[in-house]
Amino acid sequence: MLPATAVSLAVLAALLAWPVPVLLARAGWPGRDPLVALVCWQAIGLAGGLSIIGALLVHGLAPWGDALPQAGWSLLAGSPAAGPVRGDHWVALTLAGVLAVELVGVLVLSWLRTTRTRRRHRAQLELVVQPSAALPDTRLLEHPAPVAFCIPGARPLLVLSSGMVAELDDDQLAAVVAHERAHLKEHHHLLLLPFVAWKAALPVLPAAERAYAAVRQLVEMRADDVALNSLTGPGARRTLARAIVAAAGGTGGAGVPDGALAVAGAGVRARVLRLLEPPHPLSATARWAALLSAGLLLFLPTALLLLPAG
Amino acid sequence: MASLGELERAVMERLWAAEAPVAATALRDGLADRGVALTTVHTVLTRLEQKGFVVHDEDRPRRFAARASREEHAAELMHEVLGQSADRQAVLARFVGGVDPAEARLLRELLADDAAR
Repeated sequence: MLPATAVSLAVLAALLAWPVPVLLARAGWPGRDPLVALVCWQAIGLAGGLSIIGALLVHGLAPWGDALPQAGWSLLAGSPAAGPVRGDHWVALTLAGVLAVELVGVLVLSWLRTTRTRRRHRAQLELVVQPSAALPDTRLLEHPAPVAFCIPGARPLLVLSSGMVAELDDDQLAAVVAHERAHLKEHHHLLLLPFVAWKAALPVLPAAERAYAAVRQLVEMRADDVALNSLTGPGARRTLARAIVAAAGGTGGAGVPDGALAVAGAGVRARVLRLLEPPHPLSATARWAALLSAGLLLFLPTALLLLPAG
Repeated sequence: MASLGELERAVMERLWAAEAPVAATALRDGLADRGVALTTVHTVLTRLEQKGFVVHDEDRPRRFAARASREEHAAELMHEVLGQSADRQAVLARFVGGVDPAEARLLRELLADDAAR
């Protein structure tokens, strides 16, 4: 029966909108394997959107048939409904359309806006940065605050401030550059994009804010891990931790905006602790269990939508 | 033939190095090793003016100057580039954000404890 499918999808959507993201954001294991946790977050986002829109569609299309693809086709083809069409069916269909357009539209807009801002920043930076002699593909910006960042995109730009170069030794600088390269190589900005967009689109959903914060933190941890893989020597973890502490503590009063400091603080501490006292990596079994759950999370709403009900 | 971006950089370098406003012809002479035509210099200056980096006076011929010193420019850029709105964090990946002094002290203590063990 279609109503049962609609109810299952609505329950799944509710779970993914609140308890599941809250539990995952609180869980301890994501820090032990940031990559697997990032996969889970993407699955939660995608499955959440799919199930809420799906629930509305299934309910709205109920008068036209038992299975969603066939019912949707009947409606588009203008066939008469098999059952009585009530007002709530039209409301559900309208909501489904609005939500789908909003989620996709915000994603596209957010992408366009960030791309444009990146291009502007890159053009402005290119006027003042100098290629670094010691570090390939790295530019230096004359500024006293210890800052490092990269602008992702087709032509990425990796920038170190002169304050950063003065503050850190060569090994620490190499660790910073390896961290930023990891962001670029693994396209972390694309993993963040949907969460930035949906946080803006759904301010009423507190889980969107938590999800964004968690994904942001995981992306940093993942970049730390990748950086460590490319660094040699037994002290690599401590070197990276020292670089983080030096850069985090040195920006005050140097003309760098410092909004949301408290929020950043907890995240920075978690990163440093993780480097100094590395947690045990997830067991292979736990890894596969998490990945399987992520897969199931995507499979479940898809199956509920496509299979004929009843 | 140098790209417009490189020329913009070269022109800004000269304007920053100059003591007083510079005429376009002087800029072209300064860039003689690149074989740049006067029209190209004007194109570059117009682009830089549109971006808000260069201003000109009303003398004949016009003379051009950087709107802000290199340091001011870097500081403004830093402020804009590193503004911590959520959108900004999607725009660029910063190595680590700044923390308040208390948190910074706590972090240094963490490192010191670790080194002592």
